[in-house]
Order: sequence, then structure tokens, then C-alpha cells
Amino acid sequence: MQDMENLSDVSHLVNEIKHKKLYNSLDIALKTEELLEKLISHDQWKSARELMKLVKSRIKFIRKDLPTETTATSIMRHILKIIREEYESAAKKKGEGQSLHQLVTANSSDILDYSENLGSLRSSILDHLGEYKVEIESSSDNIAAQASEHIHTDEMIMTVGKSNTVEKFLKTAAKDRNFKVVVVEGAPFYYGHSMAASLAKSNIQTIVIPDSAVFAMMSRVNKVIISTHTVLANGGLRAASGIHSVALAAKQFSVPVVVLSHMYKFTPLYVVSNNHEAFNICASPADVIPPSAGKILNDIDVYNPIFDYVPPELVTLFISHQGGNAPSYVYRLLSELYHQDDYDV
Amino acid sequence: MEKPNNENKKDKQGPDGLTKKERRALKVNARPSQTNQAAGEHAQKPLTNTNAQPGDTIVQTQTPVVNSKSLTEKELRRLEWAKKLEQEKKSNEGDKNLSKAEMKAKRREKQEAQRQQKSEQVKTNVSAEKCEPVTIKEIIKKPSSNKKVITPKKKHKVTEPHVVQLVQHLYNEDSLKQEDTLMILHHDIHPAFVRLGVQYSSKVILGSNARCLALLAALKLLVNDLKSPQKQEFCRYLENVLQVSTNYLNKCRPFAVSMTNALRYFKLQLTQIDTNLKDIEKKAKLQDIIDTYIDDDISKAGVAISMKVREKISNGDVILTYGCSSLIRKILLEAHADGKVFEVIIVDSRPLLEGKELLRRLVVAGVKCTYVLINSLSYIMNSVTKVLLGAHALLTNGYVMSRIGTAQVALVAREYNKPVLVCCETYKFSERVQTDSFVYNEVGNPDALSTTHRNDITPLSNWKDSLNLTPLSLLYDVTPPDFVTAVVTEIAILPCTSVPVVLRINASETT
Repeated sequence: MQDMENLSDVSHLVNEIKHKKLYNSLDIALKTEELLEKLISHDQWKSARELMKLVKSRIKFIRKDLPTETTATSIMRHILKIIREEYESAAKKKGEGQSLHQLVTANSSDILDYSENLGSLRSSILDHLGEYKVEIESSSDNIAAQASEHIHTDEMIMTVGKSNTVEKFLKTAAKDRNFKVVVVEGAPFYYGHSMAASLAKSNIQTIVIPDSAVFAMMSRVNKVIISTHTVLANGGLRAASGIHSVALAAKQFSVPVVVLSHMYKFTPLYVVSNNHEAFNICASPADVIPPSAGKILNDIDVYNPIFDYVPPELVTLFISHQGGNAPSYVYRLLSELYHQDDYDV
Repeated sequence: MEKPNNENKKDKQGPDGLTKKERRALKVNARPSQTNQAAGEHAQKPLTNTNAQPGDTIVQTQTPVVNSKSLTEKELRRLEWAKKLEQEKKSNEGDKNLSKAEMKAKRREKQEAQRQQKSEQVKTNVSAEKCEPVTIKEIIKKPSSNKKVITPKKKHKVTEPHVVQLVQHLYNEDSLKQEDTLMILHHDIHPAFVRLGVQYSSKVILGSNARCLALLAALKLLVNDLKSPQKQEFCRYLENVLQVSTNYLNKCRPFAVSMTNALRYFKLQLTQIDTNLKDIEKKAKLQDIIDTYIDDDISKAGVAISMKVREKISNGDVILTYGCSSLIRKILLEAHADGKVFEVIIVDSRPLLEGKELLRRLVVAGVKCTYVLINSLSYIMNSVTKVLLGAHALLTNGYVMSRIGTAQVALVAREYNKPVLVCCETYKFSERVQTDSFVYNEVGNPDALSTTHRNDITPLSNWKDSLNLTPLSLLYDVTPPDFVTAVVTEIAILPCTSVPVVLRINASETT
């Protein structure tokens, strides 16, 4: 079981996520990045291929234990691409003498064989990782900086539940614009309550509504600004449950749905149904109906799903730190983020 | 404009709160308490209502005049104020002096508010009500630094910044909430109506059918107990009494469409009664009319609808329903008793969580049930075969008015191509037309939103302290007709657009 020992770092991460010690996606992202940084700097790997194998085994581990956790795997996938890039540039430097003829006639397996032992590889990857870490950390600031391009004066904006990215976005916009925010409370978890309290503290006019009032309010809403758990490869979302009906109502009233997303939330995953096995998980039904309800609980089914699938046609815009993109462009962002060969580890 | 100002300082009462200048003034002209009271009255008048008539005094308020809504409200406020003054007078000497200072502070404050008003070019009669919270805050900041004032009007001002402008017209600030005020004010209203009013406002009686039945029951009691004065004709007198009673009920909670329709029918019958009959015969006839209405338009209609829907339920169906409609409950229970094998998914939502009641009843009857909150709609909708919804009213333009959330359920059902059946007796059809959920609606208790079943203390708990935070709980929404497959009525299964036809036929039948 040498394999398991080596994976102790990642199993620790999985445990922390499982027990909600790490809840925030940004925290998970940073923790994952640190984990890989440690792995790369301390572990005894000889070639890029070995290193990639180590990373891939970690991705597999996470996918097995937490099929719905995508942030950590996305970070790892992106780092795989970084390794590939660094290897290629290092290999190119070394073989500068290669002629065009050699390049053309070269066997494809030669180019993609990451087995060469390059001395400078470790440090160059670590350098690149440092940059990546800064990018992750500043991502939500960069998203928030675009707020004034999307919110005009006296708007009515709807958001669902709580998201740090959305919160920062709205607060940044509120610095020089007056607008109102309608917060959907998001029963049975009620994250919307703390969101609303926090927005109100920053002098934003905030209205809290129950989930049932979404359709009624939507006719007066100018924009729906939400965050998501995952952006799927087709441009759809895996978002908090209830967002699908919010998006449907928005479509009914032609209200644009803007999704704020960090780059690490984009995944090469295709899921096109709510009932996909790996797609959804259900939380404790005690949030829906208290155990004090008594005997009646023996005879009923209670569901408390966490996620909703939102098809891409209901999403108007994605905003990442690189700017805005339509859902139809997600495939292209993915190919910039991850290497084709790593889509399915 | 003084109102939020006073509010800000309500808890800082006491002699410490006075400036030196004021304290000095106090010592110099200490006056007998009577003048205090008189002064209090004068200062209070512009506070309560800008267009108060100068002739109105406290004495007048003892006689219950009900010619206009605004007048009674005014009087109620003044009555409260007079009571408060008397209490203060009795309590101790110190308070007397304080109230003197209070008057001064108020006067100064008033001047300042007026100045503010001029500078802002706000029309005087719209001042307090329509002022934006932002401007209110500005005013608060200014005087609070040097003056402390006690105010007897608390409830009024707390709610002021917490009004969603969109539905400002729905807030009924002077609606009667506490039981005791209900009792004091209206001794000329039949106790059955007073009780009914309390039950409505505390939401003990919920649902448009239940509310209508309760109203009719109270009406029967009223008819039975009423004695007309010597010279007045019974029916005319009853009309007057009824007007007063319904005004009162409307204040407790706005009328449901079902209640309006039932009442209109009753009034119409009232005009058609033979005036030559004896009072006792009229009474019997009127009670008979009410009984027939309950029997035909509510009970039998329910039975007919139940039969029609039962035909549409087949074995193995999974029926989704929302909230707890009395009619849907009846339909499901009867279909189950009839031997149909089906499952029910009950979708529920905060803050009322009515669905739990339906769940309990169905489980007791042995129906297999699933219970989810409204956020899980998309998750559960795939397994559904039919959606059954109750209605508060059907509007002439085909929109369905129902408990908040119904539109969302219908929307998701349409997305998944599930048939949506709305069950509604024709007595709930309304001539009203409406396309949004704001014009005619009710605002529920915002405090219900700030607590959850798990903990009473949430980040929202002290929303009243924050000027920017407003929980909004609407009670109804309207569902566009394109989400509704069909409406099941006692007459037939119809498309939504047939509402005006039904109304026309019903009208021609009754007259």
C-alpha cells in the first residue's frame, strides 16, 4: 500500500472538504495549489512524466471520494498543463539546434514523451505555480473590478444565497452607483440571510424574499447576478438548488443572467441532466422537515438536493477575471485552461 | 418628517438627555400640568396628520364616527396619545417637567423639518410618507446631536424605512393588529365579526375557502342577532351594519376575492327581499340564502370538481401539489378513498409552510407522500406526471391568482412538459384583470422571514436596526395562462381564457 501512503496529503484535503472545514471554493483552490507546490518541491520525481503521474493519481483519488468536487481537480488539471508547458519550453531550449525538417518529420510520440530529465524543470514549474497562485488570489478582485461595467444606476439586481464573489462584486459596484439588491434567502440553508445582512451593512438597499417570491419579483428585476459551483463544458451550470427555477423565471421575463465564476470553476465535464448520478448530492432532510415532526417521518420521503443543473441557454454571460464570455465560448476557455489529454484523467 | 427623528431618540429619554439651555428653561417656567397636556395636544396634532382639522379635540374621539377611514384612524391615534398623556400625568412629577421639555424640542424640531422641506422642495402633504430613507437619515443626523425627545408613536416610525417602494401601496400601516385595539374601537360591531377579524389578522383562518365560509357563518349570526330600530326597515339597517362590519374586517386583512364575491351575492339578494315580510321571516329567508350559497357554490362545487379530477387521476400517477389548498386536499383524499393508487409530492415554501398540514392529513389517510421545499422543484419535477394546483381567484384575463410560489411551480412544470391543472370553484372567478403580482397583493409579516425552524436568531434578526435591510413577504402571485393546461371547475374543464364567459353566464343566471 505504498500508493496510499503517498496519497496521505490528498486524503487529508478530501477529509477537510468532506467535513466542511474547507467550504469556500477559493480556500479549496488555494489549499490544492499549496498541496501540489509541496509535492513538486519535495517529492522525488525525476521527469515530467513521473510528476504528471503523481498529480493524476491525486485527481483520481479525489474523483473517487468526492465526485462532485471539481475545484480541486480543476486546479490540478491546470497544473498538469503548466507542467506540460514548462517541459515543452525547456525541451525546446535544449534542442534549439533542431531544424525545421526534424520538427516536421519527428514522430509525434517523440514530442509528447515527457520522460526526459531536465534539471531546470522543477524551478521553472515552481515559478509558474507562484504566478498561478497570485492569479487565483486576485481573481475575485479582478472580477469585482468589472462591476461598474455591468451595473448601472438604480438597477434592481437579484441574487440567490451567498457567494463571496457576488458579494464583493456588488459592494464594489455600490461604491459609485446606487442600486437595489433582491436576495433570495435560499431555504433550507438560508445563506441569503447573511448575504443580505452583509450587503445592507455596506449601504446597499437590500430586500430579502423567500424562494417562492422569485417569479413575482422577477418582473421588476433588471439583472440576475449569481455565482455557481461548477461551469460545465457545454456552458451549463451546476449551481445551488433553486437556481434553475430562478433562471427559468429570468428567461420568462427576458432578464439577463450573469454568472460570476473563477477560472477554476470551469470543468471539462459534460452533464446534461439533473438526475445524473455523479451530478447531485442530497443533504440531510432535517433541514427541510425537523426530526421533531415525529412518527410521520416513517411514512414519507424527503429530499434536500444541493445542486441544480442549469442549461446553457438560460445563462447570458460568464464573467471571469479575464472578462465576459458567452456560454458558447466555454469550450475555448477550457482548451486554454487544460490540456486536451487531461480532460479525462 | 419629524417621525423618524423622534424614533431615533425614543430610548434616550430622561432628564440627562436635555441640553443645559433646556434645563434652565425648565426651571424658569414650571407650569401646572393642565397646560402641559394642552400643549401636548397641540404639538401632537401636526405630528399625527398634516391635514388634521383644528377643531378636532380628544372629546370627539370618544364617539365612534365611521364616516371615513382616515378619520377613524386619526382618532385612534389621538386616543392613544391622550391615554399616554394621562398615564404620564399620574406617574410622577419628574415626567411632567420632561414632557414640557419634550414640547419645546418637538417644536424646534418641527421648525427644522419645515426648513428642510422648503429646501428640498417637497410637497407638504406627501412629506413623511414618501420620503426616501436616504433623506431621512440626513435629517436624523442633524438634530440628534443636541436634542433628545421621547415619542409616543413607536410602531409607525420603525416600519417607515423598511418599505419596499415597489409595493408601498400594499403596506397598511394603520391596519389593526393588536387584539385589544380591535375590541376598544368597535363596540358597535357584532362579536362574531370582531372575533373573525382577529382570526383573519392572526392568520388562524387561512385559505380563501375557509375565510369565505367563516365570513358566511359570521354573517348568519349577525342576521340572527340583529334587531332593527323601530322606524328602519330591516334589510336597509342590515346593509348599514354590514358596511361597518366589513370595513372593519377589511382593516384586519384585505378581503379575499371569494369573500368579495360571496358578499356581493348576499347584498344583491338583500335588495331583492320582499319588504312586506316580517323581520323574522326576512331573517329566515336571508339565512336560507346563505345556506344555499354555501351548499351550492362551495360544497357541491367542490364535490363536482373532485369527481372531475378523479377521472383524470390514473393508477400509478405521481401528482405534485403546492402548499395546502383545501380543495386539492379534498380531491386527493377522495381519490385515495376511491381506490386510486397514486403518489403525491408536496412542494412547500416558507414562511407559511402550509404543506405540512396537507402532508399530515395525507399520511394519516395512507397516501404515499414526498415532501420537498420549492428549491428542489427542478430535481423532483422529472418524476411527476401531473401537477394539481389550488387558486385564490381566477382573473378575467385568464391569469390565476394564488398563493405565492404557484407561478414558479407552474413555470417549472411547463419547462418539463407536465400538465398543470388548476382547481377552482367558479365563485372565485373575478372580474379583476391583472398582469403582475404587485398591484393587488398583500404583504405578510416580515418577521416570519427572519427566523428559521432551526434557530430563532439569524443574521436577519435585527433587520429593524438597519435602514437598508427589508424582508419582503408577499402573499400572492399571478400565474400567466400559458403555464396552465386547464382549469377544473364545477361546470367543466376549461381553458383559462374562459373566465369571462363563465362570469357572463353566471351573471345572467343570478339576475
